[in-house]
Amino acid sequence: MDLLKAENLTFTYPLTDPPAVSDVSFRIGEGSFAVLCGATGSGKSTLLRLLKRELVPLGEKSGRVLFCGVETEEIPASESARSVGFVMQNPEQQIVTDKVWHELAFGLENLGTPQPVIARRVAEMAGYFGIESWYEKNTSDLSGGQKQLLNLAAVMVMNPKILILDEPTAQLDPIAASEFITTLKKLNSDFSLTVLVAEHRLEELIPACDSLLVMEKGRLIAEGPPRGVIRDLAGQTELMLSMPAAARLFRALGSEGECPLTVREGRRMIEGNYDGRIRSLPEKALPEKGDPALEFKDVWFRYGRNLPDVLRGLNLTACRNEIFCVLGGNGSGKSTALGCASGILRPYAGEIRVLGKKLKEYKNQSLYKNCLALLPQDVQTVFLRNTVREELVDAGVDAGDLPFDLSPLYDKHPYDCSGGEQQLVALAKVLATKPEVLLMDEPTKGLDAGKKRDIAEILRKLKASGVTVVIVTHDVEFAASAADRCAMFFRGSVVSTGAPEEFFSENNFYTTAAARMSKGIYDRVVTVEDLVRLCELNGKKGGGEAG
Amino acid sequence: MRALEDLNPITAAVYFLAVSGIAMFSMNPVLLVISLAGAVLFFLVRNGSRSAASHLWMFGLFLLLFLVNPLFSHNGATVLFVLNDNPVTLEATVYGAAASVMVVSVLYWFRSFTQIMTSDKLLYLFGSLSPKLALVMSMGLRYVPLFSRQASKIGQAQTALGLYKDDNLVDRFRGGVRIFSVLVTWALENGIVTADSMAARGFGCGRRSRFSIFRFTSADFLVLTVTLLLFASAAVSLGSGALLFTYYPSIKPPDPTPLALSGCISYGLLALLPSILEAEEKIRWTCLKLKI
Repeated sequence: MDLLKAENLTFTYPLTDPPAVSDVSFRIGEGSFAVLCGATGSGKSTLLRLLKRELVPLGEKSGRVLFCGVETEEIPASESARSVGFVMQNPEQQIVTDKVWHELAFGLENLGTPQPVIARRVAEMAGYFGIESWYEKNTSDLSGGQKQLLNLAAVMVMNPKILILDEPTAQLDPIAASEFITTLKKLNSDFSLTVLVAEHRLEELIPACDSLLVMEKGRLIAEGPPRGVIRDLAGQTELMLSMPAAARLFRALGSEGECPLTVREGRRMIEGNYDGRIRSLPEKALPEKGDPALEFKDVWFRYGRNLPDVLRGLNLTACRNEIFCVLGGNGSGKSTALGCASGILRPYAGEIRVLGKKLKEYKNQSLYKNCLALLPQDVQTVFLRNTVREELVDAGVDAGDLPFDLSPLYDKHPYDCSGGEQQLVALAKVLATKPEVLLMDEPTKGLDAGKKRDIAEILRKLKASGVTVVIVTHDVEFAASAADRCAMFFRGSVVSTGAPEEFFSENNFYTTAAARMSKGIYDRVVTVEDLVRLCELNGKKGGGEAG
Repeated sequence: MRALEDLNPITAAVYFLAVSGIAMFSMNPVLLVISLAGAVLFFLVRNGSRSAASHLWMFGLFLLLFLVNPLFSHNGATVLFVLNDNPVTLEATVYGAAASVMVVSVLYWFRSFTQIMTSDKLLYLFGSLSPKLALVMSMGLRYVPLFSRQASKIGQAQTALGLYKDDNLVDRFRGGVRIFSVLVTWALENGIVTADSMAARGFGCGRRSRFSIFRFTSADFLVLTVTLLLFASAAVSLGSGALLFTYYPSIKPPDPTPLALSGCISYGLLALLPSILEAEEKIRWTCLKLKI
């Protein structure tokens, strides 16, 4: 039976011309796991909101949404709130109350559920999601992953028939994101709960889903089982970028047969079809190391006298004119290291030098003039004005100097821009101080694959103009494609450094999907592009012309 | 029996109201000393030797209040000595002592009150009056740490962007004003997400019910009953004038009638009640440990 059905759904926001969603029809069967993908601004969020009656935006709407055969407008309010669960992107802002237990009970309280029933349901959910140990905590003390799990649990407590999620893992680190996706899969298989999730991070979701919906410019351009949909996504290079590595390899090589989705399937495809004579691509000449631009020498830091050390004897050198990526898990001290380098936090031992000069010798804010700048993780903190234009004028940005174009955004409020646009506006503002050393904290958080590629491109341009870029990130795939050198951070110090090729091929777990897929078959492969080239060099097994 | 902290917030709130109420409406030195002893004992039982410095401050406050009254009030028949042509009387001195004992004892009760009645317990109390008020307060409590964290994040981001041109106060103040104004915008923007999240979970669908993690158990019933009985007994003695202690023009203590004695004993038990509960629990644990 169809649980949810959209018929010729079209929606236009007021005072805008092209419809955000146009003529979309699809159906979602009971108990299915559907994934909605598409680039930023393709209308995914608008479509999902149209499916949840309480969140339908203002604008002109035509077409119908049927839930269990009834139009959503005709379902009673409490029934609609209960049966359609909705989880949004930002973990922090969705939380309403101050205590975890109160947040769990919030939805049931709204429906006027009697106290004993709430007590039972809340207890069940807390048990299922493993929330018991932080049940009485303040919601503001939770980690990002815990917050999003709480948001999910607070919806599940109402016993919904369908769960709609709008980029739920975009703001989470990879470990928390992966845990969240595992929970979704478990809910789907344990309770036959219908799930519809829009996401950019597809590596783990696509192998689990049984229906993939693809949107582009407000239209639904493909719908069906994932293998078929990916095979038929002809000419959609931008969209293919966010697909699982195995599927990208399959498409780039123009292979035939069943499309692989997981690393295991991708590996089988290589082993079964391609020769292994040529083990690696010709080594790239390592760029010559410049003078040190940012140096940490045995730096120790803690947030309070009685708190544990966050940086433990950190030694790190980023050279002039390179893109240096620092990778590491949550709480390993990466962001703290940036805080120390930018003079916001003060280490209690050790020495930090910027461009050869000790940090302490930069007097009277001179560190932030033509020297060093930090782009924080939460880019909203960079904005102080009401439009992008004011923001840029205020900072003294010369639009001609920027390696990217912001003119379409000038009259928007910075907060109204998409995540990727905000990142660029903030970067423009940061670049206005003409830094020689640019520090970036998680610049790819919440961005789709296309935007990540754009950021990498911009960083390369900046590097060409003589800027040293130091990036702190969780994003292994981004680091592999953008960095000149990578460092692995663990418990407050660096455990290994190297060029991406050696760094990621020597790592077994903390590495890219392409490296995992080709481990033992080929050497020094880190990106899908490398793997494609290597497969093409080797040629098909038994293929005459390659030999 | 459980300690006052682990009982229902209503029980705890009624207790604090009763014990400090009697202390505030009586000037009988016996009751006041009982109140002070009970309050300090309870605080010490809970906190041990921690915050020792704060006791010194309290003692300082006590001395100050104690000395002020006889220096400014010259009522009373018994002159002790003359200071700068002003008589210092015995009555005013005793009155000052009693008043300062009252203030300090109420302050001690209040210190324990703030330790025990955490935000969620207060919320539970107000929620009994109005579920809407409880929700508004809960959301408020959630937003305070959220804002202060965001403010410091914006401050740091702007520092690293060179918002502050120089290391001076004026510049710092100007930057602070801008951060505050952008913080308001941020709050409004992000409030929309919260509002959506509330609507998505059926806020405004109809009558709200209320869930809380506090239960009213037989222990609560017992402690509440005992509290109210002791309070009633003390209040009757106080109200009937059996405990009326006259300071001016000359000191005249009340007669030790049975009613006055029963009032003192009731209040004594009331003031010791939380310490007894606390001690009983500690002793029980020690016994349990010894058995292992």
